[in-house]
Amino acid sequence: MRNISFDSIFEFARLCVHISRRNWTVYKKDLIANISPTVADPALVMISLGLGLGAFITNVEGKTYMEFLAPGLTVATALFTSFFESSYGFYVRMTFENVFKAMLTTPIGVSEVVAGELVWVGLKGAFMAIGVAIVLAVCGLMTNPWLIPLIGTVGFLVALPCGAMGLISTALVNNMNQFQSVYSFVIAPLYFLSGIFFPIDQMNQYVRIVAEFFPLIHGVRLAQAIFWERAIVDTYVASGSVLVIQSFIFCTLSFFLIRKKLVT
Amino acid sequence: MVEAKNLVKIFGKGASVFRALDDVNFQVRVGECFGLLGPNGAGKSTFIGMTYGSVKKTSGQVTVFGLDPQSESRSIKKRLGVVTQENALDESLTVLENMMLYSAFMGVPRDQRRRRIEDLLEYMNIAHKRDALIQTLSGGMKRRLVFVRALLGQPELLILDEPTTGLDPAVRHLLWGKVKELRSSGTTIILTTHYMHEAEVLCDRLAILNKGKIVAEGSPQKMISDHSPGYVGIFKSEDGAKVRSLVKETTTHVHEDSSGVYLRVPTLEKMTSLVADHSLNPAQIRPSNLEDVFLQLTGQELSVDA
Ligand SMILES: Nc1ncnc2c1ncn2[C@@H]1O[C@H](COP(=O)(O)OP(=O)(O)OP(=O)(O)O)[C@@H](O)[C@H]1O
Ligand SMILES: [Mg+2]
Repeated sequence: MRNISFDSIFEFARLCVHISRRNWTVYKKDLIANISPTVADPALVMISLGLGLGAFITNVEGKTYMEFLAPGLTVATALFTSFFESSYGFYVRMTFENVFKAMLTTPIGVSEVVAGELVWVGLKGAFMAIGVAIVLAVCGLMTNPWLIPLIGTVGFLVALPCGAMGLISTALVNNMNQFQSVYSFVIAPLYFLSGIFFPIDQMNQYVRIVAEFFPLIHGVRLAQAIFWERAIVDTYVASGSVLVIQSFIFCTLSFFLIRKKLVT
Repeated sequence: MVEAKNLVKIFGKGASVFRALDDVNFQVRVGECFGLLGPNGAGKSTFIGMTYGSVKKTSGQVTVFGLDPQSESRSIKKRLGVVTQENALDESLTVLENMMLYSAFMGVPRDQRRRRIEDLLEYMNIAHKRDALIQTLSGGMKRRLVFVRALLGQPELLILDEPTTGLDPAVRHLLWGKVKELRSSGTTIILTTHYMHEAEVLCDRLAILNKGKIVAEGSPQKMISDHSPGYVGIFKSEDGAKVRSLVKETTTHVHEDSSGVYLRVPTLEKMTSLVADHSLNPAQIRPSNLEDVFLQLTGQELSVDA
């Protein structure tokens, strides 16, 4: 095992930052194309479900349907932005461009590759969630817009484990098509069954219990608490700590699985 | 500088195990250019991956700078430059962005990065492409850029995995010149190649790897005199039957490919007398070279010894 010293931790952090910076350099080249779906998707949901379906649903937990949907959308943005980057994006760089083969000849190790990637998707999730929250707040769907920075922490805490789930699927799929199955059987169910579209308590017991093992439902609880100024501290303690634990588990698992792919 | 002792690498498990390296022993000395030759799938890239910890050994020992690549890969990799078999350039970035990223990885001080990159791009004659996207570069330019990338950290040990495969003669000669310059300035070099001429031109010592085992080691000259001394005559296929019958009466070696029938004998006199006695019509007579050694030792020579 590597000796853990102050120097080696500093070096580790330095290298992670460079990997994250690489992703930022690529990202900003196509900023509009990269940002637009993450903003357009929630807008679409707002119009179709919020305005359309919302006309028939007048009272969800004492709110309009628009108000009810708003917090969950910031979390959904964090999910999609992180999962796609660390599944398709990472897979292409690993398999077709062989980028990591070259990186691993430099002082970069697998731990830096994985940590750099996760820090990047975490930050991206945070900023995307904040972006969506700003739009929603402008539409008057957030009771206290000063709490928007807190949505950044939710975005980060959701994007981190969801990004790790992306890396885990990258390590497990045999080809790119199989990401579709991951999407259909894991990501889409999480999106629809984590309390974004209807109250968590009214969901089927068994479905809810399964959902508890994944990050999204906890992120939704946290975002709703912040949007509606309802027991914020308590929810951070309950759901926030679950997210931290899940992040740790998923990230660690993704590290070991990716290492198997990169070191033979 | 690099040492392998009883090194074994086995890929796979259960029924599909494959010995990519099988009890490999050799040493690369400080300051030399060491060539690792072998047919496709011999295990060259596998060995190279082991020197910086990307491939884990199954058993035996490998050390680089006296360090173990599995536990001390970061210290090793700071002093190492690798031209990987695949270019593996970051396609989403420009030439300059790629090199800035890698110089950061290598820990080049921030204020020196740009200078060092410009110098190396200049050195490899691709400075005019500094702002180009990787996709727009030709194969030769990409290869030269991979050389730049490998040299960013001013490595003590430079590892070249098939550096000139697929390149035109002009680029190949340019790269040979650079490799020679680096070697004379004290850089230790490990080179794998399928071009025997390249190995003869560049390498002080060589090892030939076949199916995971080292089958010969030494200087190019020594290898030729040990394994394939003498002269080779190349004959048109019309002479084929005659030449092959000679194998039976003399201690010669023969092999055959689409370009003709190859006959090797120990001396030039012997060759000329054979040609005269049997009224043969050689297309070429030349001293035997590394390619003859290679074909013989990797079992690709068709028939050996009379
Ligand atoms: N990850 C792996 N899993 C299973 N087998 C592998 C793996 N990597 C390499 N091999 C096998 O090990 C053998 C040696 O491969 P290696 O890439 O070292 O050959 P090489 O000498 O570099 O060949 P080439 O000249 O074609 O580059 C090959 O038969 C290859 O199929
Ligand atoms: Mg190879």
